[in-house]
Amino acid sequence: MSEADVKSWINGDESAKRMLDRVLTSRPSFSLPPPLHRIPLRVANVVEIAGPSPSAKTQILTQTAVSCVLPKVWNGVHYGGLGRPVLYIDLDCRFDVLRLVEMLRHRIVQVNGCSSTAGNEEILKLSMRQFSYIRCYDSFELLATLKTLHHRLQKEKESNGIGGHLLMIDSIGAFHWVDRASTTLPLGGKNRKCLSLQNVLEIVVEDLRKLLLIHPMLVIVTKTAIVGTTGNEVKRVSTTWPKTCTIASCIVDSWPSLAPVLCIYYVNVFIIHNCREL
Amino acid sequence: MASLKRLETEFPILDRDFQSFCALRGIFTVQDFLIHDLQSLVADAEQQTSSERFMQVLCVIDGLHRPWSNGVELMEDAQKNKHVLSTGCEGMDFLLRGGLHKGQVTELAGPSSSGKTQFCLLTASTVAYKHMGGVIYLDTGNSFSAKRIAQFLNQISRPAFDEMQPIVLQKVMNSILCQSVFDIFSMFDVLHCLESKLKSQMCRGDNDEILIIIDSISSLITPILGSSGSQGRALMVSAMSLLKKLAHEYNLAVLVTNHTVGGDGGIPKPALGESWKTLTHVRLLLSRDCGSDTYHVSLLKHPSAASGKAAKFIINN
Repeated sequence: MSEADVKSWINGDESAKRMLDRVLTSRPSFSLPPPLHRIPLRVANVVEIAGPSPSAKTQILTQTAVSCVLPKVWNGVHYGGLGRPVLYIDLDCRFDVLRLVEMLRHRIVQVNGCSSTAGNEEILKLSMRQFSYIRCYDSFELLATLKTLHHRLQKEKESNGIGGHLLMIDSIGAFHWVDRASTTLPLGGKNRKCLSLQNVLEIVVEDLRKLLLIHPMLVIVTKTAIVGTTGNEVKRVSTTWPKTCTIASCIVDSWPSLAPVLCIYYVNVFIIHNCREL
Repeated sequence: MASLKRLETEFPILDRDFQSFCALRGIFTVQDFLIHDLQSLVADAEQQTSSERFMQVLCVIDGLHRPWSNGVELMEDAQKNKHVLSTGCEGMDFLLRGGLHKGQVTELAGPSSSGKTQFCLLTASTVAYKHMGGVIYLDTGNSFSAKRIAQFLNQISRPAFDEMQPIVLQKVMNSILCQSVFDIFSMFDVLHCLESKLKSQMCRGDNDEILIIIDSISSLITPILGSSGSQGRALMVSAMSLLKKLAHEYNLAVLVTNHTVGGDGGIPKPALGESWKTLTHVRLLLSRDCGSDTYHVSLLKHPSAASGKAAKFIINN
């Protein structure tokens, strides 16, 4: 090795300050509404929100979506949103778009102070344009969505140059029973993968990970935890899910009544894993 | 799901080479393709210089996949298509913020003889008369009564004459279709036939039906829900998934009834267990004062209202 090589090796690639600058611009952190404000989240993190039904998990997602789609500043008014696009995959098929619009409108009116003007409608439309929604009625549709998501994000990146999406999946355990019941026997020899709950979950996890490598985005997933008194109803989700994917879990305790607009939270947040970055 | 061989006629890109490439890796159907890791397949294909074909296949899949809806489109669809159907009962309408929402599944739970069937019949008559839409009534316990529907219609219309004109009455009652189903598989049959009928109607642009009532869905599901084994729950989840799909895509409201079981402290709670809780949009608990016409209903879950609200109403005989 020549002296120049040794010197360059000792000097390193970049200073810590430069690395920090680079990371902070290319992987900015998200400031989200409670209860997710306690966890420092950035792109390529995966958050799982688990809780019994009903415990406001979808409400948290809707609230987060509202803060995400609102722009930071528009027409001189500071809205305090993130201005990022949101991708919502609805597996439970219970999303209520009018609820999202109601919450968005309430936020806009809070900032603007007047109840309904053309300006309010314009910013509502602008924010709603950042929101994309799809429903999946079974696991295979979910797999097809995840596989084609890469292509879609690629096209968007090329045309708009926008990155840093927020991906929300409502109720990852929606197809748990259906997949468990439809485990087939292996046909066609050893080569063929049989369609079992384990395989489907593994592929979902793998697809998500690969997607996050190419298009880093923040993923928020809800899961309904079912605990019956006899213990027969405990939902056992495959072990690949928490091990490979989850960065942090919030367990939302059940809360008796939900004030629709004010959103008063009585939530216990337990941070389960504080793991390495993906 | 279709096998790759059969799809060849429709998509000539899936030719023999592609099929043999897939067969070597154990991929014979679309399902197998989906549970394989795409990147390793692409890597394999690149080694065999057929990666371009693969990319083309992926483009075809992307083109055929259900498109993502934009927020603005969703909002417009909700405002244009997903109206609210009044149930004919003021207390209930107040609680439900207007009535039954199209595109949502409403569950009404209550102990036996608490007025669930009466409420279903009232809702069917109101929707058929006021909203002039078709009602599909799936009856699991032989409790549908045409006479009672006629009584309700006379009450609702309150014309100058004592009774409604028979022609009008006949026309309104013709829009309520009642079907008896006694097990979950015949319910699936009925719903699948309904789906194909609605699909063809939608192409012609002439959608008539706006409400599906299933009285009571718990009597179809309880026999198959064993304590162990996932078959029963899987059927329950798929049935509800189908109902929600019909509700959303064909702009229908769905009303299902459920019975109650004893809960903590002797307070009745809706039946069908914990897995059922996440399957419906709106949940109501009904009860009746002994020997009177007054019904009490409380809201257990609603997407945009606080739970715990209660209301009272009277259904006259």
